[in-house]
Amino acid sequence: MTSQRVAVLKDLLEFIGIEGERLNLVWVSSAEGPRFAKEMTEFTEKIRALGPLNWNYQRAVAVGI
Amino acid sequence: MYDAIKERVKELLDSGEIKGFLALKNDNGNIKPHLYVSPVETNQLSIGDGETPGGARYPLAKILTILLQNHSGERFGILVRGCDQRALKALAAWNQISPEQVVPIGVACPEERAQACACALPYPDEWLEGEQVEPKDPRPVEWEEKIPLERLEVWRGEFEKCIKCYGCRNICPMCFCKECSLESEDVIAKGEIPPDLPMFHLVRAVHMIGRCVDCGLCEEACPASIPLRALYKKVNNIVETRFQFRSGIDQTEQSPLHKIVEPPAAI
Repeated sequence: MTSQRVAVLKDLLEFIGIEGERLNLVWVSSAEGPRFAKEMTEFTEKIRALGPLNWNYQRAVAVGI
Repeated sequence: MYDAIKERVKELLDSGEIKGFLALKNDNGNIKPHLYVSPVETNQLSIGDGETPGGARYPLAKILTILLQNHSGERFGILVRGCDQRALKALAAWNQISPEQVVPIGVACPEERAQACACALPYPDEWLEGEQVEPKDPRPVEWEEKIPLERLEVWRGEFEKCIKCYGCRNICPMCFCKECSLESEDVIAKGEIPPDLPMFHLVRAVHMIGRCVDCGLCEEACPASIPLRALYKKVNNIVETRFQFRSGIDQTEQSPLHKIVEPPAAI
């Protein structure tokens, strides 16, 4: 159920103009500490690379995004 | 007018086949939902002709759901347009009503109403009054062709108009949850207007997966004129593309969220 919901939500985010990659779903067990750390680090880096949301179109155009 | 419907309702009430008939009533020019329990009342029956033909609509399927919860084992009749019947089918698929308890009496929407709604199915399976009007494709969604940045601007502007009145949820025939995430302070902060952007509207949109029957009552009810129908139309399109499912068509088919599947390798 969650996987279906998240899949739809990703498409929906794209529809309202937000990158789908800003949403991530992974299954990590409590016994997989290092894996959790790896997933989180990778995701944080991905979000950092994407930068803040471009809520303001005029401003985004002005700075040339 | 509507003699065929009135006659049928009288028969059903007289024979005791139904405990009541849920429809609309013209009360001195005001159209409102009404439960007809006596055959003599039926001369006041309305199919929703207000200022325009078929102009007045109410979430009758939602009212029926509540009625059935309080009268288990009883049968009720209900006046159904195409949208009402889609809602009833979806409610049955979600186990919210038992079809055996429901006696639908159909009415096909007049041309003017069907056009105004751009309705995908402006008539139920069977109807006693009205003419069959050509259905419209429910798939095209506004702003889909714009670039992402423009879409973000459009939707942010729309969501910002929200006054958090909960009108969209309250009128929705498919909003039947006992507890609502939109009232959970963990999800939506209390006392803020507009509500969290875009959380409030996306939470509702995600909860429309496999539910929304595109009746358009939410958009009609919205005092801020947010194009909610476009948002949920998109949800329906995504669900159809991903899961080959459209809500409100087959009452025996469960929504994709009811099926346990292996999570895809990449989402």
